[in-house]
Amino acid sequence: MTLADVPLRSAARILGFTSLSDTERCRLGALGVREGASITKLMRTPLRDPIECLVGPQLLALEAWLLERIEVEPA
Amino acid sequence: MTPVLALAGRPNTGKTTLFNALTGMRQRVANFAGCTVEKAVGVMTVAGGELEVVDLPGTFSLSPDSMDETVAFAFLSEAAAERRPLKVLCVAEASNLANDAALACALKAAGYPVSLVVNMIDEARHNGIDIDAAALSAGLGMPVFLTSARNRMGLEALIDGVDGALPCEGAMDFRSVPREQLERLQASAQRRAETACAGAVRVPGRDLLPTISRSIRLDGWLFHPVLGPLALALTLFLVFEALFSVGGPLKDWMTQVIMTFSTRLRPMIPNPLLAGLVCDGLIAGFSAVATFVPQIAILFVLIGSLEQSGYLPRAGAMVDRALRPFGLDGKVFIPFLSSFACAIPGVMAARTIPNEKRRLTAILLSPLMTCSARLPVYALIIAAFVPPSFRPLGLDGRACVMAGLYLFGIVMALILALALRSTSLYEARPTPITVLPPYRFPKASELSRYVWTRCWHFVSRAGRVIFSLSIVLWALASFPRATPGSSPAVQIEQSALGRAGHLIEPVFRPIGYDWKISVGVLTSLAAREVFVGTMGTLMAISGEQGTTDDLAKSLQRSYGLPTAVSLLLFFAVALQCVSTIAVVRRETGGWKWPAIQFASFFAIAYALSWAGFHLTRLLV
Repeated sequence: MTLADVPLRSAARILGFTSLSDTERCRLGALGVREGASITKLMRTPLRDPIECLVGPQLLALEAWLLERIEVEPA
Repeated sequence: MTPVLALAGRPNTGKTTLFNALTGMRQRVANFAGCTVEKAVGVMTVAGGELEVVDLPGTFSLSPDSMDETVAFAFLSEAAAERRPLKVLCVAEASNLANDAALACALKAAGYPVSLVVNMIDEARHNGIDIDAAALSAGLGMPVFLTSARNRMGLEALIDGVDGALPCEGAMDFRSVPREQLERLQASAQRRAETACAGAVRVPGRDLLPTISRSIRLDGWLFHPVLGPLALALTLFLVFEALFSVGGPLKDWMTQVIMTFSTRLRPMIPNPLLAGLVCDGLIAGFSAVATFVPQIAILFVLIGSLEQSGYLPRAGAMVDRALRPFGLDGKVFIPFLSSFACAIPGVMAARTIPNEKRRLTAILLSPLMTCSARLPVYALIIAAFVPPSFRPLGLDGRACVMAGLYLFGIVMALILALALRSTSLYEARPTPITVLPPYRFPKASELSRYVWTRCWHFVSRAGRVIFSLSIVLWALASFPRATPGSSPAVQIEQSALGRAGHLIEPVFRPIGYDWKISVGVLTSLAAREVFVGTMGTLMAISGEQGTTDDLAKSLQRSYGLPTAVSLLLFFAVALQCVSTIAVVRRETGGWKWPAIQFASFFAIAYALSWAGFHLTRLLV
């Protein structure tokens, strides 16, 4: 499953990424979005995209298309 | 060679606050990623002598992905190449240490002398996080300092610890290393940082840190589908309302004080020519800008508060989806909003946009936002042509027109963004991620420093230009002298300035400008607000401004509403600022883009002014 499939206010563990360049993976990794990390999908912004997520102690707004490229399993 | 202390680290970890605390310099401080868009330099004194302190732009990892990150690594690489004595202070946020310490580990692995500054330690302690500095230092293999630069905690120990810099022997030149190697180095550093933090940082067992928990609760309201946009609209409306309801009376008071001073001073100067220079040139020109300081200060108090609170990146995230159809995204919100204060920081803030095409688009469109330099021009024309009795729906009509002009700038930017979608500048894939810092209360000392710096910058920049231009304009308007006994109007018309104005008047006549406004438009290329000073000088010298009358009333008597509409449209679009043109040139690396920008904005402004002038003439 991908992060897009995870319901709001639910936590998941990142398994990997699909269709992302190395640069994009590196940037995500520097922000704590990397394999093995826990991610909680919190809420949508008023226009439903991007979506606020909690990664470690950090709040991030991730665009919807990116959520579809993050493979996760329920935490 | 002066030893260098370089402050590096992820954006929004408090580097600039630490820089200010160490050097006493007034750097801009804000609570959003990418505030420092180029390196700033200061000096601090330590036991071993003086150190040059460099505040580097925020960097997420060793692989630069945006222009500001490239600046940071280029600086370190050059220091290494020159074997300059250097110490890198890698600043990390205490509540996000496992993530932030990775950069310090990576820089150390790359051969740089690094110390880790664990900043915002007070916030971490409030969150119940306990950090064992000695264990962390042992785990990372580098000195560790616990600080709260905002509250000056731990700074003495840091200054004592930073007693010197070491020559960079054999440190990595990032510019010549393959990206894959840098990414491997970063990944290895991340593992090391996580291992070190696991043994030295004790995080409370509860699910969420209090600062994060509080931010999520607030986001629940501010990201609400209905309340969120309402809060954003209300915030922007309050900014404009405050500018007029609070700033307006202050401006009127200052105008009265300066005019009284000028009126009393004039008879005390025996030579009429000198009295004219002082009262009609220097005082009239300078006061035209100085009286806007209250409104500018209010604008910066509000923008500074929003920046420091952490609301700005959220506002960017909120508008992200709405901007995508125009070929933009939420990343342009900060450059655009900064441009409401001044286009220069706005253009420079675009450096934080990783995608080159998006960055260029933001640079080209940012000057369309209503900057503080437009405010004096708008306020003058609105005061002259919008009567106080104009109250649509019971609202302050003048505030509504001003808000409308702000909105017009945004709409123009969106229309042009839409037009750029059909050019090679369009980038389909947006930057997908935005850091949302925890909400923080703006700190009065940081805010007052920010407001003072911005206001002083405004006054000194405008004041210097107006001081010089006022003398030049007065001289051009006073010489050659007309025949003795001529009226002031004849004098100015026969002067060098009058002749130059008449020469260019045919260019601007189709949009409703006479030779005086044409001169004002020309001189406003130095800075938009100079238009007010120029008109003040011209109207005072030509005798159309009485001693008890102000410039607005003088303009009202001389021109009609069509000319006012034309002027507002012209100044809303035209790139009347050489400083912005120079910064765009620097940011784009050549004259091509500023030339295209200036020419196209002038053409659009001229066309809109022509349409506005003739339509208003038909309707009024």
